[in-house]
Amino acid sequence: MSTYYAQLLLNGVIAGSVYALFAVGLTMVYGIFRFINFAHGELIAWGAYLTLLFSQFLPFSIAVLPALGLTMILGISQDRYVYSPLRRRSRITLLIASIGLSYLLRNALRLVWGSDLQTYGFEAVRGLSFGALNITRTQLAMVVAALLFLGFLYGLLKFTMLGKGLRAAADNMELAEIMGIDMKRVGTTVWTLSALFAGVGGVLIGLDTNLEPMMGLTNLIKSFAAVLLGGAGNVWGALLGGLFIGVAENLGVAFLSPGYKDAVSFALIVLLLLFRPAGIFGITGGVR
Amino acid sequence: MDYFLHTLVVCVIYSTFAVSLNLELGFTGLYNFGHVAFFGIGAYTSALLSLAGFPAAVSLFLGMAAAGAAGALLAVPALRLTGDYFGIATLAFGEMIRLFFLNERWLTKGPMGLPGIPRPFGIHGGVSGLPFYLLLSVVLGVGVFLLAYRITRSPFGRALKVVREDEYVAQALGKNVLSLKVRIVAVGSLLAGLAGALYGHYITYISPSDFTLNETILVLLCVVLGGRGTQWGPVLGAFLVIFFQEFLRFLPIPVDFGRVVAPIQGMVYGAVLILLMLKRPEGILPEYRV
Amino acid sequence: MAVCDVSLELGNTPVTGLVGPNGSGKTTLFHMITGFYPLDKGRIRFGGEEISGRAPHEISRMGMVRTFQHTRVLPFLSTRENLLSAVPKQRGERLTSLFIRPGAVKEEEKQNRFRAEEILDMIHLAPLAEELSGRLSYGQQKLLELGRVLMARPKMILLDEPTAGINPTLIRRLVEILKELTRRGVQVFLIEHNMPLVAEICDRVFVMDSGNLIFSGSPGDAIKDAGVIEAYLGRENYAP
Repeated sequence: MSTYYAQLLLNGVIAGSVYALFAVGLTMVYGIFRFINFAHGELIAWGAYLTLLFSQFLPFSIAVLPALGLTMILGISQDRYVYSPLRRRSRITLLIASIGLSYLLRNALRLVWGSDLQTYGFEAVRGLSFGALNITRTQLAMVVAALLFLGFLYGLLKFTMLGKGLRAAADNMELAEIMGIDMKRVGTTVWTLSALFAGVGGVLIGLDTNLEPMMGLTNLIKSFAAVLLGGAGNVWGALLGGLFIGVAENLGVAFLSPGYKDAVSFALIVLLLLFRPAGIFGITGGVR
Repeated sequence: MDYFLHTLVVCVIYSTFAVSLNLELGFTGLYNFGHVAFFGIGAYTSALLSLAGFPAAVSLFLGMAAAGAAGALLAVPALRLTGDYFGIATLAFGEMIRLFFLNERWLTKGPMGLPGIPRPFGIHGGVSGLPFYLLLSVVLGVGVFLLAYRITRSPFGRALKVVREDEYVAQALGKNVLSLKVRIVAVGSLLAGLAGALYGHYITYISPSDFTLNETILVLLCVVLGGRGTQWGPVLGAFLVIFFQEFLRFLPIPVDFGRVVAPIQGMVYGAVLILLMLKRPEGILPEYRV
Repeated sequence: MAVCDVSLELGNTPVTGLVGPNGSGKTTLFHMITGFYPLDKGRIRFGGEEISGRAPHEISRMGMVRTFQHTRVLPFLSTRENLLSAVPKQRGERLTSLFIRPGAVKEEEKQNRFRAEEILDMIHLAPLAEELSGRLSYGQQKLLELGRVLMARPKMILLDEPTAGINPTLIRRLVEILKELTRRGVQVFLIEHNMPLVAEICDRVFVMDSGNLIFSGSPGDAIKDAGVIEAYLGRENYAP
């Protein structure tokens, strides 16, 4: 019996490691620019679908490269053409533009690839077993890739000048600017990283499940739940939040009907916002 | 001609829906992105009651009431959240309600939906009933419009604007901000429920896929395009958007291209929202003379 | 800690000043008194009633009305609308009354408009009644804020740096209005950096430094107090 739960837990950690990638991307943008990019989900989806496109005539592991490159360009364009011009406007304006952008990108995806499910078309390969626990090679690849990227981010933030600039800017944007940190470079870096992580996560998720046009939105909500859990803007909190969501979803399958699996993240969001909007590790604001 | 009447009915229903959202979004500054949930609750409640044999007036009324009650219930906890977070919470709530419609088959028949919803007050189904349904919709729509007009052009409406502009000042001026917000969300949800009930009885077949984020974006577009925080803005926006939508359906498009219409439509809507925010965020009818 | 161990009583003093170097916790104290910040310890009493822990709008309705350090007019409402929105318990703000008793709502609105006209004259902003308040000059906005406070028929007003950044003519006007208010029995509690003004209009003065209350007494004595002088001169800031 307990192996059943152990397997669910393992599945949860695997899914969670990918959610962690999504959430980290989303929270980085929030940390610097102080808004939730609704179109983040579409970066996930486009990363996955572009890989599908390129894998038609390139070997898969090569196809990923141009796909991610284009996704990063997409992320930067989001900022350049929509968000940057609106930086000084009210929050609601940014929010609506972000929703509009996500709708635009989602429908563009549907236009190109249609509404049917797609897959990368890998055959089911016999997985590995550790005792009573099973893990497919794909899933193993997912975790490894997620760890690699997260490790890369850790190194970047901790040891490079760029990373330090990012952290300073997230802490206090005006002060960072006065101190001479190039905010343009920081901005571009954040959008590139955010899009990269979203895209990578999208490909990884696509390996495990099917691709469908709503995958952006579904994963956005999960990312958002993870971001909230860890405290908006807190990168490591988002990571842990992603893991938590993955585990909660998969363990939840034991108790809820599978149709409500996605609802786990929704419910978590609603509960968190009601009882602990600052997240488990977060900070709050107030009247000046 | 019939098609024109049909378009008008949908316009009026969506105007009502948009007016209800405008009360929350335009006047009070509440970004309720789950508003379609109340549209859906109104539709399902009224449909289920009618199918069970209740008279139309009762079903419509209870549909409204259910939506209003749901709104009030959601509002009390959710309105402690600020701006963005309220938006996401309501979005999540909207999706949860859709999942509820989808999964609770014993009640809602799940993805199969509810066919055969009776037309109210003896109005005939199909084309012959169109003019009468239009009349019904217009009567109810005008009622909603006047209600919203009264609310917004009153000290209550003024207090809502104060809350929208600066919550701290509102409190310093003695306004109970939470109470104001809960009240307007209850009213907005109630009116959305009426719009939803009207919708259900019109198309006579509803399913969970009628109440998705797409519909929220559609009604958001109506409000934002027409002019937030004005009386006529949402109505104008609804007419423009629905006419555009129905016009596209009417175009003789070769079958091969049929599947691209919906996504292109969606792209247009998304692009319009972005362009509006970039160039004219107040919408077509501005709230203040600038 | 922003404010630590402050105990003060205003009694019936008509005009009380709260002064101190920047960062001494004066605005924080105001936030705490008016319910915008929570209290960790202690109690606040107003008019014989306990108000600690109450919501800001409740405290405002009880008759303690405040302004903010930086002007917070509602920029997209007209000057007149700003004033009208300041009346606390309007009948027209109750949904039921709107529909069941429209006549009473209309009557009250008429009365409020009448009072708004009076106050517009008092603050010399009558010609700008229809103007969007965001277009007013800084000084005019400060006067509007004061006018808003008056509309609320307060028993006591808390003004946070009412004369900061405005020219001497407007300061005079403000002082006239404050004097009229005290004649009508409204208590004034104000935060100020303008020492000559404080000396002129305040009957009593509290001095804060680093979150603590260091002096209580007449303005004349405050200027001579050793602790007060050190508080001001011991830092980079000097009193004006």
